Amino acid sequence: MPPGALTDERDVREAYSAHAPELYGFAVRSLGDSGLAEEAVQETFLRAWRAGERFDPQIGSLRTWLFAILRNVVIDLGRARAARPTVSDEGIEASVEPFDEALLSWQIEEAMRRIGDQHRRVLVETYYRGRPYAEVADELGVPEGTVKSRVYYGLRALRVVLEEMGYED
Amino acid sequence: MKTDGCRHWKEELGAYALGHLTDDARARLEAHLEGCPTCRAEADSLFAVSRLLPHADPERFGPAPQPPAELGKRITATIGSERRSKRRQRRLRFGLGFGGAAAATAMAVLAIFVLSGGSEGGPEQHIAFRALPSGVEISATLEPQAFGTEIHMYVKGIRSGTLCRVYMRGPRGEAVSAGSFRYRWGADDSAVLSAALDLSRAKALVVHAGDHTFVAPIGRAEAAALRNQPQQEEST
Repeated sequence: MPPGALTDERDVREAYSAHAPELYGFAVRSLGDSGLAEEAVQETFLRAWRAGERFDPQIGSLRTWLFAILRNVVIDLGRARAARPTVSDEGIEASVEPFDEALLSWQIEEAMRRIGDQHRRVLVETYYRGRPYAEVADELGVPEGTVKSRVYYGLRALRVVLEEMGYED
Repeated sequence: MKTDGCRHWKEELGAYALGHLTDDARARLEAHLEGCPTCRAEADSLFAVSRLLPHADPERFGPAPQPPAELGKRITATIGSERRSKRRQRRLRFGLGFGGAAAATAMAVLAIFVLSGGSEGGPEQHIAFRALPSGVEISATLEPQAFGTEIHMYVKGIRSGTLCRVYMRGPRGEAVSAGSFRYRWGADDSAVLSAALDLSRAKALVVHAGDHTFVAPIGRAEAAALRNQPQQEEST
């Protein structure tokens, strides 16, 4: 059994406190329902625990592994939904692609939440809202150069947070 | 060029990576990048981040929903009961020497625990029937519930189609019915029953399977007292 395997309840508790908020946040975003999201997170940790001996930190991070399990759980939930007569079969395989796209989106949104307010603010105003730097500088009561430098440090912070979260491209 | 001298350039790099520089400013910066590998590497890594931005929805930058507090407890409780029943299945497997079929039984048990959300009603008890005929396996897990006791029965090795009636014995030896099930070979070998008797007051679990009766003690004191008695009241 590799060291770091997820084999007892304490391991699971630690894994839960480290990763459940993220898994849950993502499950809510991806499933659009908090009850289903709870179900998905519970099933993810149960499957992780049952397969705990097979988890090897040498191969990949615990977070990556948990998200891979969640992916399967979400697909299974999609199948269960698709098995209901009102939903067509095409919904089944199609759900995989949106999962990866949704996971990517969610990771960036989560990283945005974790960087400082000042950094997020300038990225939202200049990038997402496409506002001129001078206008944003005016509104914030700082020189334009400061807005520019916040954009720079904001992107750097985003990069660091994504790395910390284990983002792999 | 020394890194310190690049500070001005570096602060332009964010706007550059987002495509926000004027043509003039961009040309000046690119001329600098030609000769400065440090800034070039920094620019590349910022481009890697800026390429991700279109995937995010700025409406979703607010606080993320948090998992409900009881979710973690529910998960550890479910895992706890799975672990206990696994251990029990393992003991049974070694004790009675039966083979791979036990794995299927274990899975059925796990399924029940997952569906029922674990031992919410308190600690469950595992009941072993001893001195069974060769090839027969019977065990049970009892869970205290508000209505009485929930009984998860696992049966293997008896004739398919056999009607099994289950009772619990109360403090005065009275029988409280927990219902019945029919054992089908090759089908799911577990059944969930319930009896209107508090687990704390129950003294024994009784299974009438065809013309056999099997009794298993409930609770420690009783188990010790019954240890040397045959568990099978009638024999073939």
